[in-house]
Amino acid sequence: MFTNFFYTCKAKGLDISLTEWIALHDAMNKNLCGSSLTGFYYTARAILVKSETDFDKFDMAFEECFKGIKTENTITDRMLEWLDKSEMQELLHEEERYWLNQVEDMHVDKEDVEQKFKDRLKEQDSEHNGGSYWIGTMGKTQFGNMGGNIGGIRVGGSTGYQSAFAVVGARKYKDFRDDKMLDNRQFQMAFRKLRQFSSKLDIPKTELDINGTIDSTCNNGGFLKLEWERPRKNAVKLLLLMDSGGTMIPFTKLLNELFQAIHKSNHYKDVKSYYFHNCIYAKMYKTPECENGDWVDTDWMFRNVDSDYKVIIVGDAAMAPEELYSKTGNYRGPNGGLSGEEWLLLLKQHYKKVVWLNPKMAPGEAPWREAETAVKKMFPMYKLTVEGLNEAMVKLMTK
Amino acid sequence: MKTNFKSTGEYIASEELMASVNIAAALEKPLLIKGEPGTGKTMLAKAVSEALGKKLIVWNIKSTTKAQEGLYTYDTIQRLYDGQFGNEGVDDIARYIKLGKLGEAFDSEDQVVLLIDEIDKADLEFPNDLLWELDQMEFYIYETKRTVKAKHRPIVIITSNAEKELPDAFLRRCIFHYIDFPDEALMEEIVKTHFPDIEETLLKNAMQVFYEIRSYSQLRKKPATSELIDWLNAMMIGGVNPEKIKAELPFVGVLIKKDEDLDIVRKRVD
Repeated sequence: MFTNFFYTCKAKGLDISLTEWIALHDAMNKNLCGSSLTGFYYTARAILVKSETDFDKFDMAFEECFKGIKTENTITDRMLEWLDKSEMQELLHEEERYWLNQVEDMHVDKEDVEQKFKDRLKEQDSEHNGGSYWIGTMGKTQFGNMGGNIGGIRVGGSTGYQSAFAVVGARKYKDFRDDKMLDNRQFQMAFRKLRQFSSKLDIPKTELDINGTIDSTCNNGGFLKLEWERPRKNAVKLLLLMDSGGTMIPFTKLLNELFQAIHKSNHYKDVKSYYFHNCIYAKMYKTPECENGDWVDTDWMFRNVDSDYKVIIVGDAAMAPEELYSKTGNYRGPNGGLSGEEWLLLLKQHYKKVVWLNPKMAPGEAPWREAETAVKKMFPMYKLTVEGLNEAMVKLMTK
Repeated sequence: MKTNFKSTGEYIASEELMASVNIAAALEKPLLIKGEPGTGKTMLAKAVSEALGKKLIVWNIKSTTKAQEGLYTYDTIQRLYDGQFGNEGVDDIARYIKLGKLGEAFDSEDQVVLLIDEIDKADLEFPNDLLWELDQMEFYIYETKRTVKAKHRPIVIITSNAEKELPDAFLRRCIFHYIDFPDEALMEEIVKTHFPDIEETLLKNAMQVFYEIRSYSQLRKKPATSELIDWLNAMMIGGVNPEKIKAELPFVGVLIKKDEDLDIVRKRVD
């Protein structure tokens, strides 16, 4: 039933498994949808969608599948009329024409629909006395909720609901979509990911497991037997390198919030942050103002910030080619005898885990952005959105 | 099993939420509730238990909570002591098995409402450790070789503040509901269940300021329903002139908890 809806949801990026799909059918069997499209909308959403970030995707899939069924109430009246009268054939034509018009925009084969419609009318004649036939009728996908009306079950009976399409059309969950640009709270959530993965770290068992020791000692006839466990502390160390100024100015607020979020999530073992302008060269600035003199040597950073720090570079990677490839490409400070590209490669060699977050990354291949393409080859680059940040965090934690 | 949850005298639920509760009860699956802090996630379980006339068992999750604690604990230390002092009944392990909240819910003679509060506080693996138990509503006590099986499947309500992502396998078994922040009409209804005879102008002016403050995007912590209720209560006790709410922001500390936010609000309202 509704198999096309299942696949539309899948196509929109909702991760639905058979377990949930069967649960939805179970719900329909138990008539939890209240025989209305709106009821179906809420039931399906509660069962199929597991995060408010996915509501928008669900809304769009729902709209795509059921849009042809907007005229819920008028159909009810017509159908009831039809049920009262006996001149079926005449009305059938009228209904047929009406439906053929309706389904046109759903790209359905006309003859197919006609046939289905006739079949269904036949079935209903014998079934509608039997009571709740609605779900069965729902199977004739293109007609959706209509069956409910014919079967004599109340439509839209659960008052107080917003119509499903009013909800869908408003796309009120758009803000929750996780491919949207981030705000501070969402940043913090994302950085918490680094904590949650930390319990999986492969570190030696160094803490005394008191409960385990007691259990083992008791099992050992009262002779002490020590048990050890892995510490539950977060061992993650972060090095944050941020591009500041120039083309990054439009994203100042965003970067500021990212910075705040990292420092607020005080569960890391250590956080260090430095700034750069456009590209990384011989000096790393201590403040976002990037003032000459207020810096450390990039070599010094390599020596003092171990290679097991996880590095997050934030920048738009929009350097001019000479800024990346020329040994004198740094127009703000010293190049240290190496080009920007060489410095980036040094960084890549030194640190085991590096990700690049880009607030305005081009989707897919973008050969016209030469520097961005070059940097992408060196570091895994993610767009600075909830989704991108989450992916980046996973990348940082996995081997 | 037919359960029907409606708003109670104390708790106003949206139609959507009521439908979700009823779906979860009918399908016998746990209901996972997410939503902004202060939208009444925890209150829901209380309201459900009252509306259905069933006992409420609350299992508060902390960062150190382990799944096993919810099932049962085996008090080995007590047994060791008892053994050393030769107390009676040491042979009987069952004496040292104490059921946790989940165990209690399963073992209850009547159907209960079980609230697993703030499940995201616990360790990452916590929800996965409960998959079987929540699915089958039974668990096995190894020490006594006894299976505790739910006599009546409890109505399980789980709340989460989305601090951690919950594992997919766990989510698949849940009915999900996100509590939207109530709009003004619903909020008015909620307030009136708490203060049935609140002065209209006070409520109107306070709500206006409240929703305006909520619209400031820079706020670190937006005030929520519970803060509004406290604020109204404070103003009613303090006898504030409703006309001056906007200008003076009396007791604003009840509404806004952070210094930085307080500055933002003061500046904006001026």
